[in-house]
Amino acid sequence: MGATTAAPRRTTAPSGRDRNRLTTDPHRRRYGGVRDLIASLRNPTPLVHLNRVANGHDAYLKLEWMNPFGSVKDRTARYLLEGMRARGELEGRELVEATSGNTGIALAALAALEGIPLTVTIPSGVPEEKLVLLRMLGATVMPTPDELCPIDNPRDGAIALARAIADSPAHRGRYAMPNQYANPDNVRAHYETTGPEIWEQTEGRVSVFVAGYGTCGTITGVGRFLKEQNPAVRVVAVEPQRGHRLPGLKNLEEARAPAILDRSVIDEVVRVDDEPAYAMAMRLFREEGLIVGPSSGAIAHAIAGLDGAATGIVVGISPDSGQKYASYYASLIAEEGEPS
Amino acid sequence: MSDFTADSELDCKGLLCPLPVYRTSQAMGRLAPGQVLKVECTDPGSLADFPAFARQRGHALLSASALDGVQVFYLRKEAA
Repeated sequence: MGATTAAPRRTTAPSGRDRNRLTTDPHRRRYGGVRDLIASLRNPTPLVHLNRVANGHDAYLKLEWMNPFGSVKDRTARYLLEGMRARGELEGRELVEATSGNTGIALAALAALEGIPLTVTIPSGVPEEKLVLLRMLGATVMPTPDELCPIDNPRDGAIALARAIADSPAHRGRYAMPNQYANPDNVRAHYETTGPEIWEQTEGRVSVFVAGYGTCGTITGVGRFLKEQNPAVRVVAVEPQRGHRLPGLKNLEEARAPAILDRSVIDEVVRVDDEPAYAMAMRLFREEGLIVGPSSGAIAHAIAGLDGAATGIVVGISPDSGQKYASYYASLIAEEGEPS
Repeated sequence: MSDFTADSELDCKGLLCPLPVYRTSQAMGRLAPGQVLKVECTDPGSLADFPAFARQRGHALLSASALDGVQVFYLRKEAA
């Protein structure tokens, strides 16, 4: 992937100084551009063993925040844009997408590299940190109140707004929408990278895979790949409760199930409340040294609660880091009070 | 066609729901209490959306009419 776009753009003959330039060298972790840092089978994100919080399970978290733009969505954004470019959908157009933040951040970074303007519609409750990152990357941000679409989509206002921007006759096709919720390239990103990485990194011994319901690209793509390698792999989906405060995750009763979700690869759905998810996020910080976002807490909590002693090797996704959630974690710390 | 004088006008013709409501919400934010906004839309969904929007946000929907596929709304910003 990315071979055509990664080609150096040199329009003049190399000068004497350029002749001495270092070439890219992945072994020395020296890259020609930030795009090449997005995880792939040759450059996988780390699997880190959970030594204290997994309730005795032989479990690993896959640290997706080691991607260059900070989350699992870097993979998605790269595949979405490459697919659109291959289909000629980017010609002379701007991008518009609905996102709770991470896809927007990755899209904004990649779009900025290519000089493509990006507008993102964002549901309410997304932390200020993410909005600032998006603005810093040059994206136009449209915060969308939940009640924006009172008649049709009470909880999916951001998606409806992005769709309207893309489809409104007045805009005359000026906008193209990657639509991560319905675009098969989102699934393909995980089927071709995240899934094979996990298979390779566990030497084919992964037996349980745990990921959240969000756009459902990760769970569908990884689940499908792993089950093709070994039908006995158990795929566990983590779903938050209605009205949750776990950015990136979706309760599929209050939000429409994404078109790309393939329930046939999912063996089990685990419902996780906000409180244990945040408590587990704090444990990951304090007992494992992992600075993770709240959704990682939900996934690790589901791992700790897996039944059966003989679960084998468990791999869970850690979608993003805790750096972007200061405003969410502040209340958690406040509950502990001041030192006496 | 209407007895109301608009302090500001918003052209949402050719915009699909929920863009007209979104743009209107932004425009109302720029008005002072008592001022009136005229909005023109072509998405038929607007006829249902605007009364609900006005109710939710506490704006007065002074008039709603439709002629030749264009819906015209007059909204007055109420004192907070």
